[in-house]
Amino acid sequence: MALPPSLRVSFSPQELELIACEELVEIIPLIAMEKTAFISGAYGPLRPPNKAKVPLWMAMNLKLKKKCHIVAPDWLSVEYLQDKLLQETNAEGFSALPLRFAEMSKVLLDVAAEDIPNSDKVRSLLKDIREVRQAKSRDGLKKIDHIELSLANLCAMEINEIRPFYTRAMDVLTHLARSPIADV
Amino acid sequence: MAERDHALLESEDALLQSASPLANGLGVTDTPLQQLIRQWQNERYAPEILAGHEAALNVLLDHIRRQSDTIQHLRNDPGSSEDEHFRIMLAQTEIERVKFVVRSYIRTRLHKIEQHARLIVDTPGLQGRLSQTELNHAQRRFAKLTETYFHMSVLQALPEDQRGLDDDAAFVPPMIPEPNRSHSVFVHAREDCPPVPLPDSNFLTMRKGLIVLTPYSVIEPLLADGSIELV
Repeated sequence: MALPPSLRVSFSPQELELIACEELVEIIPLIAMEKTAFISGAYGPLRPPNKAKVPLWMAMNLKLKKKCHIVAPDWLSVEYLQDKLLQETNAEGFSALPLRFAEMSKVLLDVAAEDIPNSDKVRSLLKDIREVRQAKSRDGLKKIDHIELSLANLCAMEINEIRPFYTRAMDVLTHLARSPIADV
Repeated sequence: MAERDHALLESEDALLQSASPLANGLGVTDTPLQQLIRQWQNERYAPEILAGHEAALNVLLDHIRRQSDTIQHLRNDPGSSEDEHFRIMLAQTEIERVKFVVRSYIRTRLHKIEQHARLIVDTPGLQGRLSQTELNHAQRRFAKLTETYFHMSVLQALPEDQRGLDDDAAFVPPMIPEPNRSHSVFVHAREDCPPVPLPDSNFLTMRKGLIVLTPYSVIEPLLADGSIELV
């Protein structure tokens, strides 16, 4: 089979992580490297202790070999997330977070927990936010019809989570709503 | 050392050259890799086969080849330093990542081609979306071989008027399945979009950043010009 059945409906979380790893993050390198051409662009030069912007996959690679510190993105801090959690519990819609925040925060917390201030607190905040948002996205099912459902600020991983059920539900509604004349 | 650096810098020039003509109409320059990743996502979620992006794909394949050659060249050089090994390792990692995306993209298309081989062979309008190799595969391998096989194994034993593989009888599903274009998809607007008609004769206007779940047929015209992506 050209495409395994499990991948036909949706991307796998690992594939989403691969896509998210193209996003740029800031690092403080511990080794020097000349400016080098990669397929996704040219990165460097790395000159400790100057900060540099590299894709997440590269930061991850360097971090695992203890060749850099990762600078946590602005949105991955206790204050920012606390603020978001408050918005999330008080307001009805989803609060604005980066499209791929779930994947990125997972990778960052996995490989570079010591570079993120208060990583335990960040972890538990992310979990709380996830729970509130999950409840909201399930609530969206009440509003589903055969025409359209707007979901501002939903993130990639959450979409992936609700996709199989939501698309199927909408397909069924479309099928029911189709005018009987067109069906014959 | 100077020579080795030259090898890497050369590929950088080539990269910049190859990236510039592919700037899209949004005033933002995407690298060929970003374009391919987006195409890959669209292809995976869209119910029908989309127009192939051979140009971007070829640029990337060329780039992979060049990058591999450079790496091979550096590896064989006994005088390379510790620092050099590091760059080689990073470049190698990236090549594997890009290869994965390319492979998955092509497999997704292959899957759709095999599913709808007969439809593609019968519909000249769809054939423009395929590359020559993909088209050959659809015609030769899938349409022809499977039909010959059906004929040899079963159909030749049936009465002549029951041998058809494209009968259009009333009240039964068609023998040549078509992609379900009313399948719903999640859409992410990359810029403000012009209004598109909805099935209930209203209009859908998406502003930048909005995510909408809607039938594929609604947003199909927007997908081609790149103002939206499927997520």
